[in-house]
Amino acid sequence: MKRIVVIGGGLAGLVAATKLAGGGSSVTLVSEGLGGLQLSQGTIDVYGYNPGRVRAPMAAVAGAPAVHPYARIGTSAVRDGVAFLQDALGTGWLVGDPEVNLQLPTALGVLRPTALVPPSMAAGQAQAGQRWAIVGFRQLKDFGAELVAGNLARAELSRGGRIEARPIVLDLPPRSGESDASGLVYARAFDDPAFRERVVAALRPLLDGETAVGFPAVLGLTDPEAWTALRDALGVPVFEIPLPPPGIPGMRLGRRLTAVAKQRGVRFLAGSRAIGHEADGLRLTGVVVGTAATPRRLRADDVVYAPGGFESGAITVDSRWGIRERLFGLPLAGLDDIDRLITDEYWDDPQSVFSVGVGVDAAMRPVRSDGSVVYENLFAIGGILAGACRWREKSGEGIALGSAMAACRAIEAG
Amino acid sequence: MDDLLGLVGHAEARASLDHCLKCTICETQCPVAAVTPLFPGPKYVGPQAERFRADGSVDHSVDYCSGCGTCTLSCPQGVKIAELNSQARAAMKADHMTVRDRIITQTIAMGKLMTPVAPLANAALRVRPLRVAVEATLGIHRDAPMPKATSQTFMAWFRKRPVPSAPAPRGPVVFFHGCAGGYFEVETSKMTVEVLEHLGYRVVVPEQGCCGLAQQSNGLFEQATAAVLALCDRLRSAGSDLPIISSSGSCTGMLKHEAREIMGVSSEALRDVGLRIRDTMEFLRELHEANALDTSFRRQDTTVVYHAPCQLKGQAMGLPAIDVLSLIPGVTIVESEVACCGMAGTYGLKKEKHAVAQAVGEPLFTLIRDAAPELVLCDTETCRWQIREATGLPVEHPISLVHRAYGLSATRARRADPGAPSGA
Ligand SMILES: Cc1cc2nc3c(=O)[nH]c(=O)nc-3n(C[C@H](O)[C@H](O)[C@H](O)COP(=O)(O)OP(=O)(O)OC[C@H]3O[C@@H](n4cnc5c(N)ncnc54)[C@H](O)[C@@H]3O)c2cc1C
Ligand code: SF4
Ligand code: SF4
Repeated sequence: MKRIVVIGGGLAGLVAATKLAGGGSSVTLVSEGLGGLQLSQGTIDVYGYNPGRVRAPMAAVAGAPAVHPYARIGTSAVRDGVAFLQDALGTGWLVGDPEVNLQLPTALGVLRPTALVPPSMAAGQAQAGQRWAIVGFRQLKDFGAELVAGNLARAELSRGGRIEARPIVLDLPPRSGESDASGLVYARAFDDPAFRERVVAALRPLLDGETAVGFPAVLGLTDPEAWTALRDALGVPVFEIPLPPPGIPGMRLGRRLTAVAKQRGVRFLAGSRAIGHEADGLRLTGVVVGTAATPRRLRADDVVYAPGGFESGAITVDSRWGIRERLFGLPLAGLDDIDRLITDEYWDDPQSVFSVGVGVDAAMRPVRSDGSVVYENLFAIGGILAGACRWREKSGEGIALGSAMAACRAIEAG
Repeated sequence: MDDLLGLVGHAEARASLDHCLKCTICETQCPVAAVTPLFPGPKYVGPQAERFRADGSVDHSVDYCSGCGTCTLSCPQGVKIAELNSQARAAMKADHMTVRDRIITQTIAMGKLMTPVAPLANAALRVRPLRVAVEATLGIHRDAPMPKATSQTFMAWFRKRPVPSAPAPRGPVVFFHGCAGGYFEVETSKMTVEVLEHLGYRVVVPEQGCCGLAQQSNGLFEQATAAVLALCDRLRSAGSDLPIISSSGSCTGMLKHEAREIMGVSSEALRDVGLRIRDTMEFLRELHEANALDTSFRRQDTTVVYHAPCQLKGQAMGLPAIDVLSLIPGVTIVESEVACCGMAGTYGLKKEKHAVAQAVGEPLFTLIRDAAPELVLCDTETCRWQIREATGLPVEHPISLVHRAYGLSATRARRADPGAPSGA
């Protein structure tokens, strides 16, 4: 049985660990803190902008420029990755198709392209002629129903036509006396049927034959039936609109995937940081992790490195603009055509630092600029890869899934 | 404030707060914020509020933090949230420490007082009017679980028992029993010693004191520091380089990292003990990883719920109990996956926190009641009291199942009652 150490517990690390453990390897997942999955919208973005709005994500993956991670990952690994995730989560978790993007409203009332979504968001697919009510709560921060509805109603859809949208703001605190609650507190309240009944009672008289009702994505944290119960009680399709973190759909996905990983035998070393490695020539033999007081050595036949990118601290920039990968000191790619890592134009220009990362071969093994591999049994996946500004392109999840699959294939074949 | 309590540990924890990205991950994991609006959560009272603290002025909402450490464990940026909270709490309470918080931290004194009068003490703890009076005067909640005193301390048992005749080819190890393991959870200590001897070790038990954890978590840093340093000297007196084994999951955490990270204790003695000490299950797992663990376990057809205590998870070593118990054939382990049972050391004993602590523990109690296992396993003492009280089920240290699977429980029963049937 192969001993595999996976470093990083975001989408990339969780999926790779689950796949490898399911294939019979002994997998230990080391993660300092929880990964970015639970901060996400709970949707799977494959390719949203390149730089124009993408309608057919897989076609865009196939046409990705040579420097882009997708050029190395390839379409079949992305398709496999998406299918693996859907299957591992089980029915009722993600719907959609990586071939076509849906257009779903954000918490600012803009339509965002994404490929797979939880069923609770599916009715938010924008189509001309729909009449929506957007429901907010006076005590919920970070969700302005007026803003969402106003922006939606203003916009001309890309295929022509408009949506009618109007706001409804309910005065219903999630716990008595709470006036500035996060989505998390509301989500816990929505797990309680009594709270849902109060929402239905307050809302039903205000509805006026709308085709669908949009809610902030707080319709239950642990109860998967919460949103369907609400829909059935209101008698109208409902959909969730993701909020800034804490993002409930992302949390649900993260919890579910973690549970599946455990079922398949992944051992979690939570809260510890990988701080070193041991190698014998071109092969890694172990990973050193920091536990309280003592570093601990984990022996490994293969190492999957899924530490995220700059935002996760896997890549650091010092005060002299020196940039480096923290754990293995891997060579970084994507630096050549950059004058400055960070620009002052916060909103406009892409921040170059996000596309700096590790260059890999087709098996996802980090390579130097001459193409030689750094270690034969080290595989880098997810946000650490060079060549994509993931949050801007809306490509982060597709890259995480595709690279995880490509690495698993190489490991399982080796 | 640059010198809250003048702690080195505080300067270090404070330095970590700039790493906070405001990602909200800690907020979503905090078990106390989940059940009460009285506590605004780790991101607020930790890295955010810390920036505004000066001259020992601390927002009182930090007092609702139980110190369970779940936030620190979940933070992807390495912010020492729980540590900052503990330090702030110490500053906040510095000038008005309650009598109650001083008393419940006197774990050894409590044990010494109760052991000689165990039956009496146990009875007294069940007397309602007495508990109501204690609640009114001291603020210890009338329904809070209390330790059950035993008539014989572990130390007395260890001294009086016949000297083991079997050879000890693997040489000596030091056993650190902790206060609870010396006076209350004595069976756990005995079983640990017997398992270690079964594996071929000679167990050395130096005279030892309290690690000061309860004082630390109640903000009595001076006393706690003195206690932990004295303990280190005693543990080291048993021999240098020897492994130190403990079945007190939370005291182990104090020696490994909490004394240093929370109170800033930076002595060589503490560093040395921190490097050598192993949680019992962690020690067994290390043996197994080195192919040196006897795995001839007897089959145990049983389902157990295992709850990993917050203070054990904080040691960032994964779940060694699950790794070891998985080696026993027939055992089905249900992992609770609940952050904290609510007790968090002495938090759940306090009158004003009791309801919060019960609400924190409720998901765990419900899970256990639904699973209705033969046995619940948990590595720390006060958590076991809390879970026993709430569920009425037997709650033991994981070593008890290892002890049974090695056939040692049967051996012990035969020794006590030669007529008893053999077998596990
Ligand atoms: C503000 C922002 C918005 C974004 N929005 C989008 C979007 O809308 N759509 C999209 O597709 N993508 C988006 N992205 C990108 C997306 O978040 C990532 O591409 C994706 O989550 C990467 O997942 P991952 O598994 O590679 O890494 P992560 O989710 O970052 O997980 C990495 C984990 O590894 C841990 N780790 C790192 N180093 C170590 C170590 N040495 N030892 C132990 N653990 C370690 C980290 O603590 C972290 O928990 C966004 C990114 C940012 C910053
Ligand atoms: S988890 Fe860490 S980085 Fe995120 S909000 Fe909490 S302290 Fe800040
Ligand atoms: S230590 Fe526990 S109770 Fe305190 S803030 Fe952190 S998670 Fe919440």
